[in-house]
Amino acid sequence: MNIDYILALMPAVGRGTVVTLQIFFCTLIFALPLGLPFALGSISKIPPLRWISKFYIWVFRGTPLMLQLFFMFYALPLLSGGLIRMERFPTAVVTFVLNYAAYFAEIYRAGIESIDRGQYEAAKSLGFSPWQTMRIVIIPQTIKRILPPVANESITLVKDTALVYTIGLTELLMVAKDSMNRDVDVSGYIIVALVYLALTALLTFVARKIERRFSRHERESV
Amino acid sequence: MSILEMHHIVKKFGSFYALNDVSLSVEEGEAVAVIGSSGSGKSTLLRCVNHLETVTSGQILIDGEQLVGMEGERPCYAKDADLRRICTKTGMVFQHFNLFPHMTCLENITVSPLKILRQDKTEVLETARGLLELVGLSNKAESYPAQLSGGQKQRIAIARALALHPKIMLFDEPTSALDPEITNEVINVILKLAREKTTMLIVTHDMRFARECASKVVYMDEGKIVEEGRPEEIFDRPKSDRLQEFLTSIYR
Repeated sequence: MNIDYILALMPAVGRGTVVTLQIFFCTLIFALPLGLPFALGSISKIPPLRWISKFYIWVFRGTPLMLQLFFMFYALPLLSGGLIRMERFPTAVVTFVLNYAAYFAEIYRAGIESIDRGQYEAAKSLGFSPWQTMRIVIIPQTIKRILPPVANESITLVKDTALVYTIGLTELLMVAKDSMNRDVDVSGYIIVALVYLALTALLTFVARKIERRFSRHERESV
Repeated sequence: MSILEMHHIVKKFGSFYALNDVSLSVEEGEAVAVIGSSGSGKSTLLRCVNHLETVTSGQILIDGEQLVGMEGERPCYAKDADLRRICTKTGMVFQHFNLFPHMTCLENITVSPLKILRQDKTEVLETARGLLELVGLSNKAESYPAQLSGGQKQRIAIARALALHPKIMLFDEPTSALDPEITNEVINVILKLAREKTTMLIVTHDMRFARECASKVVYMDEGKIVEEGRPEEIFDRPKSDRLQEFLTSIYR
C-alpha cells in the first residue's frame, strides 16, 4: 500500500461512489412512497387488492435481488420481444425500487397493525371515515414506529447497491475489484470498505436525528 | 322524548348469544346505568348503539333517526355517511380512554369538530376551552396524553366526546382502568353531567357510582335484561333471585 497508488485510485472511487449514491437516493425516493399502497392493499378488506399486494410482496421478497436484476436486464427484453429494453442504470433503479417497495410495504403493514384497535374505535366514534382514520390517526402514529426498521433497511440498501456490477454498472465495489485484478493490490478493497462504512455511519447519524425529532415532537407542546 | 330506542336487539358471536332480545330506551335527561357480571352483554349492548358492533337483528333509533332496522330477516343499516352522522349524535367514552397520543389534549378535543364535522374554528375552540374547564384541566390544553395521569386522560376523553354536542353520552366502564383512589375525579365529572341533565348510558362495575349518578338502573345477565328500575329499587329491593345473588356476591 502506498499513498501515490491510493491517490491514483481516488477519481475512480469517487465515480463509483456517485453511482452508488445515485442508485441509493433514486431507490429511496420512489420505493418509500410506493410501499404505502402495497401496505394498505395487503390489509385491505377488498380481496383482489389484498391478493395483488400480497402476491407482489411475496414475489419481490421471495426471490434474490440479483435474480431480479438479471431478469430485468437480460430476460425481460427477450420475453417482451425487445419491447421493454432499458439501459443499465434505469434497469438497476427500477429493480431496486420494486424490490425495496416490497420490504417497505411489510414494514409499513407491521407498523399500521401495531396501532391499538382502540384508536380505530375512538376515531369511528368521533365520525371519522376509514380513510380519515388512516390519514389523521393511524399513519401519523405509525411513522414514529417504522423509522428504526426503515433506517435499518436503508443501510442494507447502501450495501445492496454493490449488486449492480452484475449487470455491468461500475459502482464502488467494482472499482476495488478492477484495481485488484489489474494491479494485484488490496488497497482498493480497504478504501472501498472505508467508503461504505462512512456512508452507513452518516446514514445512521441522520436516522437518529430524524427519530429524535419525531419523539421530541411528541413530548413538547406545539 | 326518547333519545335512544333499542328494540329486540340480538347479537350473536358464532352460536353464542351476547344479546338475546334486549329492548331498552333512554329518555332525554335520563342517566341509565347498566350493571351485571362480566360477559352479561352490557358492553356489547353499549357498543351496538354507535355501531362499534353490528347487531344480528333488531332496531336502533337515535334521536328519532334509524341507525338500523329490519328488512325482512336481515338488519339494514343506514348508508355510510348517514351512519357516521347518526353515530356522532352519541359521545363515547372508553374504558381505556383511547386518546390520540400524537395530539395535544386540545387537539384531541377539537380534531373531530374541526377536521371531520368542519365546524367554525372560533366556536370549536371556545367550546373546547369551556369543556377543559368543565373537566378541570384548563392547564393541560397543550399537554400530550402521555403526560397525564389515568384520571386526567379519562376526563380529557369525556371532554372529547362532549365536543360533538352529542344527544347521548355512552360510557363503557369509564372507571375500570383507573386506580381506586383516582376514580372519584372521573365520577365527579360524570355526576356534574348528571346534575346538568345530560342524557347518558353508563356501563359500570362500580355499584356506588351507579347508585349515585343513575336515574334508572338496568341489570343484565346472560344477554338479557333481568330487572330495571330506580336505583333504590334495584339496590335495596331487588326482586329477582339472580339480581339478589349478584348484589350479594359484590358486597361480600
